[in-house]
Amino acid sequence: MSRIKDLQKNLFGGTTSNARQFGMIFALAAVVLFFEIKTGGLTLTSRNLIAVVSQYSYILILAIGMLMVIVAGHIDLSVGSVAAFVGIIVAKAMQEWNLPWWLAILLGLGVGALVGAWQGFWVAYIGVPAFIVTLAGMLLFRGGNQYIGNADSVPVPKAFREIGAGYLPEVGPSSIPYNNLTLLLGLAACLAVAYREYRARQTRVAMGAEPTPVWVSLIRLAVMLGVIIFATLRFAGGPRGTSFPVSGIILTVLVIAYAFFTRNTAGGRYIYAVGGNARAAELSGVRLKRVNFFVMMNMSVLAALAGMIFVARSAASGPQDGLSWELDAIAAVFIGGAAVSGGLGTISGSIVGGLVMALLSNGLQLTGTGSDMVQIIKGLFLLAAVAFDVYNKSQGRFSIIGSLSKPFRRESTGGPSATSGTGQEAAKTPVAG
Amino acid sequence: MRKFLTRSLAVSAVALLALSSAACGDSDRDAGSSPSGGAAKGFAADSLIGVALPSKTSENWVLAGDLFTNGLKDAGFKSDVQYAGASTTVADQQAQISAMVTKGAKVIVIGATDAAQLSTQVKAAKDAGAKVIAYDRLITNTPDLDYYVAFDNFKVGQLQGQALVDGMKAKKATGPWTIELFSGSPDDNNAGVFFNGAMDVLNPLIAKGDIIVGSGQKDVKQTAIQGWKAEGAQSRMDSLLTSTYTGAKTLDGVLSPNDTLARAIITSIKGANKPLPVVTGQDSEVESVKSIMAGEQYSTINKDTRKLVAETINMVKALQGGNEPTINDTKSYNNGSKIIPSFLLAPVIVTKANAAEAYANDPKLSPLTK
Amino acid sequence: MTSSAPVLLEMRSITKEFPGVKALADVNLVVRSGEIHAICGENGAGKSTLMKVLSGVYPYGSYSGDIIYQGSESRFPDIRSSEHAGIVIIHQELALVPGMSITENLFLGNEPKKFGAIDWQAANKKAYELMALVGLKEDPDTLIKDIGVGKQQLVEIAKAFAKDVKLLILDEPTAALNENDSRHLLDLLRGFKDRGITSIMISHKLNEIEAIADTITILRDGRTIESLDVKDDGVNEDRIVRGMVGRDLNSRFPDHTPNIGEVFFEVRNWTVRHPISADRLVCKNSSFNVRRGEIVGFAGLMGAGRTELAMSIFGRSYGTWLSGHIFKDGQEIELKSVASAIKHGLAYVSEDRKAIGLNLLDDIKTSMVAAKLSKISRNGVLDQVKEHTYAETYRQSLRVKTPTVDEGVTKLSGGNQQKVVLAKWMFTDPDLLILDEPTRGIDVGAKYEIYGIIQKLAEQGKGVIVISSELPELIGLCDRIYTVFEGTITGDVARRDANPELLMKQMTSTKKMPTP
Repeated sequence: MSRIKDLQKNLFGGTTSNARQFGMIFALAAVVLFFEIKTGGLTLTSRNLIAVVSQYSYILILAIGMLMVIVAGHIDLSVGSVAAFVGIIVAKAMQEWNLPWWLAILLGLGVGALVGAWQGFWVAYIGVPAFIVTLAGMLLFRGGNQYIGNADSVPVPKAFREIGAGYLPEVGPSSIPYNNLTLLLGLAACLAVAYREYRARQTRVAMGAEPTPVWVSLIRLAVMLGVIIFATLRFAGGPRGTSFPVSGIILTVLVIAYAFFTRNTAGGRYIYAVGGNARAAELSGVRLKRVNFFVMMNMSVLAALAGMIFVARSAASGPQDGLSWELDAIAAVFIGGAAVSGGLGTISGSIVGGLVMALLSNGLQLTGTGSDMVQIIKGLFLLAAVAFDVYNKSQGRFSIIGSLSKPFRRESTGGPSATSGTGQEAAKTPVAG
Repeated sequence: MRKFLTRSLAVSAVALLALSSAACGDSDRDAGSSPSGGAAKGFAADSLIGVALPSKTSENWVLAGDLFTNGLKDAGFKSDVQYAGASTTVADQQAQISAMVTKGAKVIVIGATDAAQLSTQVKAAKDAGAKVIAYDRLITNTPDLDYYVAFDNFKVGQLQGQALVDGMKAKKATGPWTIELFSGSPDDNNAGVFFNGAMDVLNPLIAKGDIIVGSGQKDVKQTAIQGWKAEGAQSRMDSLLTSTYTGAKTLDGVLSPNDTLARAIITSIKGANKPLPVVTGQDSEVESVKSIMAGEQYSTINKDTRKLVAETINMVKALQGGNEPTINDTKSYNNGSKIIPSFLLAPVIVTKANAAEAYANDPKLSPLTK
Repeated sequence: MTSSAPVLLEMRSITKEFPGVKALADVNLVVRSGEIHAICGENGAGKSTLMKVLSGVYPYGSYSGDIIYQGSESRFPDIRSSEHAGIVIIHQELALVPGMSITENLFLGNEPKKFGAIDWQAANKKAYELMALVGLKEDPDTLIKDIGVGKQQLVEIAKAFAKDVKLLILDEPTAALNENDSRHLLDLLRGFKDRGITSIMISHKLNEIEAIADTITILRDGRTIESLDVKDDGVNEDRIVRGMVGRDLNSRFPDHTPNIGEVFFEVRNWTVRHPISADRLVCKNSSFNVRRGEIVGFAGLMGAGRTELAMSIFGRSYGTWLSGHIFKDGQEIELKSVASAIKHGLAYVSEDRKAIGLNLLDDIKTSMVAAKLSKISRNGVLDQVKEHTYAETYRQSLRVKTPTVDEGVTKLSGGNQQKVVLAKWMFTDPDLLILDEPTRGIDVGAKYEIYGIIQKLAEQGKGVIVISSELPELIGLCDRIYTVFEGTITGDVARRDANPELLMKQMTSTKKMPTP
């Protein structure tokens, strides 16, 4: 049990709700494998992987912000509208004032911050539930998009399109049949993963805890390096001119930064504290209003970024931008193991949840499934993923991985004699509430 | 315990093997690196043809989808016909086109949901060596679109204008004739094209004084009906009748851009107990065909989806054989980046006189004409 | 009389396992008709689990062993079927809907119906009868949230009578009640006994058990230790304690020599308004002080305003501050937020651990460092090695019963959770600790340890304020005791003068007593 726990812990961040995330990794692998076979190997081609990343990166960016909103015990229904609102402003600004692309991006982020401050103000300082504030925002900013854009599409210039449709450039010798920068990126990722593994072992030694068994470390490292190398070669081996998408790089940077923020900083921990028990957090000196304001504002800034990436990729801002994005982002977060009542969930889990949904949609589209059926299947999948976990918990089994590892359970949990049945039930069941 | 260890080792070894073999196997880098060197190459006769259509909100699109599925099959192609979802149309369509490119479709036919938001996907298709045909709706904002197939909307307007003049001449041989003008929704690009086509015919006659616009409202902004709404047309006609056509002043004709508005206009005039003028239309809606046969509405336009799909499939066939597909217009449609070679189908004007002939092949409309 | 009465319930060799833990191992329990049967044991001994097995919360099949009830084997698949058989359990956490009236709560899920619609007339009539049974005088249309905890408990019991109860199980019924309400409840139980209703009662309050129980079954670590007949075996509190902890506790309080310095913390004329009703003052002109190394008690009845006073001082966390001053080390300080209170060396351990003291989703180490993350972080980045080291130190020095500090706090018993909360506040290096009901819901052994921790803090020169509803605790622990009544401080009693009678008198009178 402890071995598997170690594995879980190092694959993901937090201490709780790991099990669902671990299960989701299996689900992700299963979805990929299923469609890889079903489509005769199309799923894992360079072309498709590149397309999937650039197609879903903006949803995953939303999922990062949404995770923090949901962990803090709120919800944000306005992200799609905010994205569309910022998109049209940025597009119009470039069309009518000839704003350079980088200034336009700054403008977009600024507008996102203002929108976020507006919503954060109502949620944190007036105390209107986020559901209501963002429902209003959903209408408000959707209307804003149509008011500014006259329900018309506004094209954006070439340079701006790079953030949504661009790729790492071709640099260096062209004799190798791969994109050199992507190869370098992959190499860096490999080194980072290896270093992280080394550091994790060091930390455990420093804590005086038993370090992870060497075989676990090695297997984990082998699997992760294998995945990274595979992905690198695939992304580097796409048709000339394509490689790892710029939007994918933006996403990766954000994931690393926010994962670090939520796990390793005081600010991140405040968010979990507020979502887990707001009153207790307040009485521990956490500035509740500031935290709530921050998560709502942060969400809108990320929504603004996602909106700009979508506009860049679509080469134009249109009246339909951002429709039902909030639902995709929320689904990703819950599939990734967050609790409806707040306090639980991780960035990495949400990303895995989002990837599962993305690859599911992609696989279904590759097999020629109509969009009606795609929606039905995605809905059922969301329900099944969460229900399976809730059911497992209610049965006293900890969860998916718990049941997989039953034979090993006895050895390590001679544990706390103080444990009583009541205590376990008091623990929140993710998504049950 | 040991069992678990050996098992997981075995599993990961297998996984690693699979991964590395897959990774080292193929790179798309050189396979797809010769981007479309001219049209004269052709492709296999059983290739995949992708068709991406907007959501199933109008009967016309559903019909088009069925016709594509059957037509492409009859022509020996494999087909992948997709509709965008009802709520997430643009993003869906983008993903569907990407999937078609991945699957190696040789030609992708697109009925765009948003004309301006597909350039990345069209470029990806072009880079992968596929031809892209815009169906019914032009795709703007991209230099990578190959062809455009549609009905000639300017021609539709011209035909409406001509029908209006013909109809009035038939009732009252010499002018001047008094008319009113209606146009479609201001946010619909086609509405302006229809109106300009009609005015192309009417303007010379107005200049000569043969035709008088009774209310003086000749600007497209004054004549527009927001959202193509019937009640909008009816209330505008109501106010025109009370403001302009009191007493002996007669109204000889009304230019209406489509059938829905035409019927609303007729309702308004009937309500005011005035003699019915000549009213044009478009779309061949069932109610309007009935109205034409009853002698109320004067004309409509028939745009046969069957013909449009058949023409598109002909283009695909030509491309398959390595031939340049037939086009009949190389100057009208500039999508912002370049002029798109187009094949424009001529619409057909339908009046009571030629209805039976025009709808002979339409199972729904032909019984009405007998 | 009881030993001859027929056996109503027998639980034989009950064993219940949770993943990794044996909560009950071969437990036996015999309850005779018409008796009051107390179950004692430290937290985590398995009392609640046993009752959940009995009432079908853990359905038949999830445990092993037999339940013989009214002479035949019972296999309850859920709570409904056990209730149908007349077994009603009243949990520690009351199962009432705050926004509904007494009547609505009484018949929730059990509504009297006429032609398919709820017959409110009949319901109200029945409600009066039931309320009379438990001695509750209220308008049945009163909302639950508008009556006190004591009355809520009575509603819960009346609800049991609405279901035709034969065996009434009460889990810590007096834990949240003040002395008056507790006494009333115990009288009620005696009354039920006279009417032939059998009761099982789980309680930590040994004086109550001694006073009311006929038989006592003691559990320890999920096993039956012994069953005592109160009359025949000459049971007293010490006897019970020995059974529960497996050894004698010579004294309830550890040895401690006070070393009291000068006054370092003072509150003057503190007046606070109720957060909602503008005309209600919860603290009126309260003044008090604390010396270095001193343990100061706050005695008062429920609702006297002790918690409100403490929380309003702790960064204005309660009510609306109107006037008053706080001095620390001779300087006036303003504590407008919890953060500033912490910065000025105040710590407040709340009375309700689960609701506002802890984030139950956290693990032990995260909880322990939560109130001063700056101590383990640089530029906002947490040092996880430091966090672990600190937590480990507290785990050892406070003897928190857990294999590692990575466990979730919900896995701990009440006493150990309280130690985690104490550690959390000790981590902030406070000069003054305000402990609100620090031993509520905690078993005897853990209480002793907590007293030891409090005394050690005082020996380090910190000031400690203890708010408690248990007078013996205050008298045994504190160097000085303030009494509070209706938001006003009514007395200041030194340890040598303190006795329950004097305190009780001052706790129930507005008249300010002269300081002895």
